[in-house]
Amino acid sequence: MMKSSFQGNRLALRPFEPHDVPALQAYLNHPDLSGRRFIPWAFPDIAPLSQRQVEGIVQRWAEADRSLPLAVIRPDAGQLIGHAECDWHWDPHQPSVQVVIAPDYQRQGHGSEVLELLMRHLLDYTPAHNVSCWIADWNKPALTFCQRHGFRVAGRMRRAGIHQGRYFDLVINDILRTEWKAAHAGE
Amino acid sequence: MPLEGKSVVLREQRREDLPFLQSLQNDMEVQAWSKALPPDYTDVMYAKRYDAREFSYDPEEARFVIVHKETGELIGHISYSDLERRFSAHLGIMTARKFWGTGAAFDAQETMLRFLFCEVGVRVVRLFTHSGIPRAVRLAERAGFQVSAQIRQANIKYGQLNDTLVMDILREEYFARHPELTDALPPLF
Repeated sequence: MMKSSFQGNRLALRPFEPHDVPALQAYLNHPDLSGRRFIPWAFPDIAPLSQRQVEGIVQRWAEADRSLPLAVIRPDAGQLIGHAECDWHWDPHQPSVQVVIAPDYQRQGHGSEVLELLMRHLLDYTPAHNVSCWIADWNKPALTFCQRHGFRVAGRMRRAGIHQGRYFDLVINDILRTEWKAAHAGE
Repeated sequence: MPLEGKSVVLREQRREDLPFLQSLQNDMEVQAWSKALPPDYTDVMYAKRYDAREFSYDPEEARFVIVHKETGELIGHISYSDLERRFSAHLGIMTARKFWGTGAAFDAQETMLRFLFCEVGVRVVRLFTHSGIPRAVRLAERAGFQVSAQIRQANIKYGQLNDTLVMDILREEYFARHPELTDALPPLF
């Protein structure tokens, strides 16, 4: 059977629907995701989000152009457990990816499964050559996650913002199509 | 009053500049990003882009024409974009080939940096270029930008894959290079 970019072993990716708003609002407002929500720029990344703001996020995602925002669903429980995005706004040759798993569902392999689905989509259905992840330097779990999946540190965008009383850099991690394919040969 | 450098001034775009700006955009040597091709931008497109700018007291971008101070010749275009007020901005520059190696681009870049740090009050200025145009990298390095990230094979130019370069200069680095200027803005941290 043909492998789907949107159906994993335990998880499924689908567009957001209006009924996702309560669950999305609940996990986005979790303190552990403060500053790493990976939501559209116009919305606050730290301050608590209202229902109306979260509706706006879902609306913005529904209208996304040159990016693919997706809800991460655990079909067995019918639960929304995160969101993910491929973004080729600048150039489909060098898209970026983002994965966010709700804190209650982290460290269970869900992020890895989502990343593999996103990469499968980018590499099997788009001309992506270099895929990058841009992550705040204080977000150590995400940096470790990237390295574990074969991404290399390309450098930093210095002084990308302010977090907990200091400047932070965005660490840029990238992987080439050939590198990912070589690491996943035979799968 | 326009922004004034040693040999150039940076002034607002005017309708009569549009043919010059169009010619810069359509010059494949001048245009760094292959994604901006093909070189078929028309005068009508440029006029629409020009007319589309709205008045604002809170703009996130600025576009200037670089003009030779003595001769009045048009040299190029310099801009900043993605302004995060009082924090960061992205710089962009392109100059006509005739003026390459004359110091005009450097002067324009210095003039813009002084404006961004001393008037706009940003804490960092960055730019994106790529490894296929070492001339642009040298120009930025002369002003104090450093290559902070190198994204591999991320750009195509002259049939080659080049690395996208993220370059930046911090506020304190800029003022350290300019002892003639005083930074009245205290550090945040």
